[in-house]
Amino acid sequence: MCQLRPRPLCQRLGSLLMALQVFLMAVLPAIAAATPATVGAPPPTTAPTTGGSRPNFSGPLGRSDERFHEELVVRPLSGDHVNTYFQFTTRWHFGKKDNLYHTQLTPRVIAEVLQQFDVKELHIGLTQGLWRYETWGYPIVEATSGAEMWAWFSGDNLTATEVDRQWGQLANVFSGVLCASLNFVDKTNSISPRHLLRPQFMPANRPRSVRYASLPREIVCTENLTPWKKLLPCGSASGFASLLNSGHVHNTKYHSLGLKVRMLCEDHLEDNCIVELTQTANLVYDLRLFELSNNDFSLRRLFGMGLNGFCELAESSKIYVQRNEQGQKYSLVPQPTQEVKSIRGGHLVVYAVYDMLEQFKDPGERLFNIAWLTPKNENRRRNLMKPTLPPVTVHRYLLGNGQERGRIATEVTNNHYEALPILVQELVPWYVHAYLHTLKIRRKPQRVNEYTRRWLPFKLLHYTPGKQRELPSHLEIGFTLPGQTSALITIDVDYLLLKWLEYPPDANHGHYIGAAMVSTQLPMGRNYTALPPEGHLFEHSFNATRPNYVLSLHTEALIVSLPTPDFSMPYNVICLACTVVALAFGPIHSVATKVIVVGRQASAPKNFVRKILGKIFRRNTVQVRAAAAAAAGAAQAEALRGGGGGRGGGRTAADQPILEDLREEEEQEQD
Amino acid sequence: MDAKFIKLLLLGGAARFYFCRTSLGTVIGNRVEFATPLNSHKRMQEGIFLLQNGIDPYQGDVVHETPLILSALSGLFRNFPQFLPVFYILLDIFTAALLYMMAQRFVRKKQDQQNVETKEYATDTTELQFSGSDKMDIPELVIVAYLFNPLTVLSCVGMTSTVFSNLFLAAFLYCLTKGLLLPCLLILAFETVRSFYPVVLLAPLLLTFSGRSIRSGFLISLLFAACCLVISVANFFVLNSWNFLDGTLGFIFYFRDLQPNIGLFWYFFTEMFEHFRIMFLITFQLNATVLYLLPLSIKLRREPLLLATILVALMAVFRAYPSLGDVGFYLALLPLWKRCWKFMAHGFVVFTFFIVTLSMMGVLWHLWIYAGSANANFYFGATLAFSTGQIFLITDLLFAHVKRDFCLFNGQKILIDGEEAKIVLK
Repeated sequence: MCQLRPRPLCQRLGSLLMALQVFLMAVLPAIAAATPATVGAPPPTTAPTTGGSRPNFSGPLGRSDERFHEELVVRPLSGDHVNTYFQFTTRWHFGKKDNLYHTQLTPRVIAEVLQQFDVKELHIGLTQGLWRYETWGYPIVEATSGAEMWAWFSGDNLTATEVDRQWGQLANVFSGVLCASLNFVDKTNSISPRHLLRPQFMPANRPRSVRYASLPREIVCTENLTPWKKLLPCGSASGFASLLNSGHVHNTKYHSLGLKVRMLCEDHLEDNCIVELTQTANLVYDLRLFELSNNDFSLRRLFGMGLNGFCELAESSKIYVQRNEQGQKYSLVPQPTQEVKSIRGGHLVVYAVYDMLEQFKDPGERLFNIAWLTPKNENRRRNLMKPTLPPVTVHRYLLGNGQERGRIATEVTNNHYEALPILVQELVPWYVHAYLHTLKIRRKPQRVNEYTRRWLPFKLLHYTPGKQRELPSHLEIGFTLPGQTSALITIDVDYLLLKWLEYPPDANHGHYIGAAMVSTQLPMGRNYTALPPEGHLFEHSFNATRPNYVLSLHTEALIVSLPTPDFSMPYNVICLACTVVALAFGPIHSVATKVIVVGRQASAPKNFVRKILGKIFRRNTVQVRAAAAAAAGAAQAEALRGGGGGRGGGRTAADQPILEDLREEEEQEQD
Repeated sequence: MDAKFIKLLLLGGAARFYFCRTSLGTVIGNRVEFATPLNSHKRMQEGIFLLQNGIDPYQGDVVHETPLILSALSGLFRNFPQFLPVFYILLDIFTAALLYMMAQRFVRKKQDQQNVETKEYATDTTELQFSGSDKMDIPELVIVAYLFNPLTVLSCVGMTSTVFSNLFLAAFLYCLTKGLLLPCLLILAFETVRSFYPVVLLAPLLLTFSGRSIRSGFLISLLFAACCLVISVANFFVLNSWNFLDGTLGFIFYFRDLQPNIGLFWYFFTEMFEHFRIMFLITFQLNATVLYLLPLSIKLRREPLLLATILVALMAVFRAYPSLGDVGFYLALLPLWKRCWKFMAHGFVVFTFFIVTLSMMGVLWHLWIYAGSANANFYFGATLAFSTGQIFLITDLLFAHVKRDFCLFNGQKILIDGEEAKIVLK
């Protein structure tokens, strides 16, 4: 949009966002001080603005200018996989905050959230499956398995508690909007990342705070897709959204729904703002699951139906099909009308473009379909073409066995020949104790199998220890990873025993530890497809060469099995433990309160039955009651009062009279 | 200080040093029976690491050691980590030496007392009286029981901070027998701020020092409170925050970490219904502190050291995070009451209980945590039985003392109608 129509605000924002991107890197260069690829970045607070003339709002972009775009990207991946990426972008230049009441294309709930809270940027991801960086390259939008959410808050007099409150409410709002379990986001699983997440809203140079949470256990399903589609202006009735049928979407190997909202305001003018809502759906199909005789596929095959047109409210509606790399072997039917070559960071990508507005120019109902055909002579053979390895790949696993303790190992591999700055963020939930002093980064050259004893030093370390039932542990580390080297970050953890009611219904399924986030900046654009921070459409990533590219990756999530109690016997445990306490209480009580008496010991009867009877009726043992309880008490009290001045030097005063009483009584008995 | 004493100390040190050089140290350091959340070496390292990196250790709930100890050991941990085992061994040997001297002094005192009272004793009670050889035997037994008890050896090898607790307790007992009021108060206050339960040892302290006057007792209590305050403030100045109070005392009182240990708390509060939790928490903490304090103080008012022994033992059974190191400590105090042993009836039962439950603990833990073929109940059963064994031992000692006291003055054989009478509590 920016490229097509010259608009001062757009340009202004563009340049500002460039500054933002520079700002984004502000931390990474600090790590990569020794890395030659890094350019020195200005400090964040001096993010330059192209001051001067005020933007002209009376132009074509009116005060309530609101535009909607839909895009679909199809990228064949290696190993017979196809990545389809939907992006629906609503961009609304609403101006003043009051105008947010009058929504048109932007969903009302988004506008209300922006009214209600001081949130400036919001990301929500609902994902099922694992993106495989080694074979698929990098995704256009990063997401971790399960639900993930982060938001930036900025406003006047915003305290940390207020941010926490708003964050909780925000999560609850979107829990309802997306029918996801985001309502479980609270203090116990939220952190405020210090370095890894950088803002993409504007103006970002104000005091701001960020909250991040992930729910790796969340299962994404139809119930999330339907409300997600309802946020679109055309719903699922027409346009690309009509392709997203849950039956087909959830058959994929990986599917990720995303929602991103950001505010772009002028630096000093709060009433000149743009809200940008980007909804993304990223799917990876496995062609082998279609059980075809060859690797041909089509939109109809992937989504169950052809495309019935474009969303009438959309400004643009385009399909991009990657033609080079894995897409090279396919021929397209129908032939594309247009081809775009994009060179980004020295990496060439060719896209065929289908403009739906053109395709459906003529009236009449029909379905549009694109077919990818492989040459006839190529039989049904696995796609053996090796993909180029992405510059940075990450993995994570657990070491150790048993339910007592373990070690989380995060492996970052730099396949590039230059050193790269790496930032790693770990969110360790409270039911796992992490020991920071065991944090080690070991390194190995790529071709070697064993990790050496050589340790990499940290350039940056931020740690907030966790607290049971209150706070997760939050760790961010930064280091420079030399070229062609892997780093293994290990930290020891203890698994805690929880209260019996704190276990989820299937306690032995295990507890999740969310994915670690790894961020770096690449000097080149190989495999890099993410949108530049200043752009909002997929086409903005074409030819978007920059000095470097911020890459953010997610590792696998982990599952740990905590020790479990037996859930069936709370009463038994309470009874048994109390019994043992009583075992101590009884004897100590009697020692402390009773007095010694001497009894006559009759010869024990030989017969077992009589012994028992004797025990019951006490016939055989003539007990001599020495002192009545009152007398004993009196004696005790007397002893207390007058007892030994010379600590133990005194005669046990209590014993003597009792024995005398005894004897008297004995005499009486004898009489 | 005779040669035998030195030899024993060296031998004890050598035994510990030998085990330190094996892999046993890390194994024991990870065993829940020895390393609880309060005393584990790993948590101490973590605390010192956090402290050195400028992170408040009490913000999280891994570290429960007091700031003073953390900062005191900080230099040692950072600069000479290889000498740490030696440091712990030295402390443990020092504890043993203190116990030895305490025992010597105690026996001497007992003998003095005996000489005064000797006319009042019954005739056939020589075996109940401290004999001349006890002056050598009892301290020796004490030191052997401390130095060569596997529980204390392993506790030291695992570098648990129970070594410090034992040192402080031994120093307290030593000062108690020696009659040094101020060191006594300071040590007790320090240990109280560290681990809360030793506050009950104020009772033997008062019995020893206040004589019969309530006024001096009150003054000493005030002094003790002042000492606690001073030590808390000193702790405060390490980090300039009061967070440590919640991290140490609050953590003990509220029993936040349910990690299994040899005590009664962990499974009880794992399985507790949430709305009863506070009530039972208070009940159990009262049980571990003041419940037995008053009756025992009245009963044992003439034997402050026995009171201290019993209280230390009860503490080891009923505290929130007991470890086997605590058990080892009070077992070493038992030889002081050698002259009561005659009346201890459950010796064999208790011994068997200890052996069986301690070996079962390891097995059942493995079955529960690693093999997955047992569940928590099994381990809980073993810890429950172990606690029962300890309780038998403690009550047995109490009964034995009461009987000895009685027999000492009334003779061991009381004849009624020419028949031997039976001594019972009524």
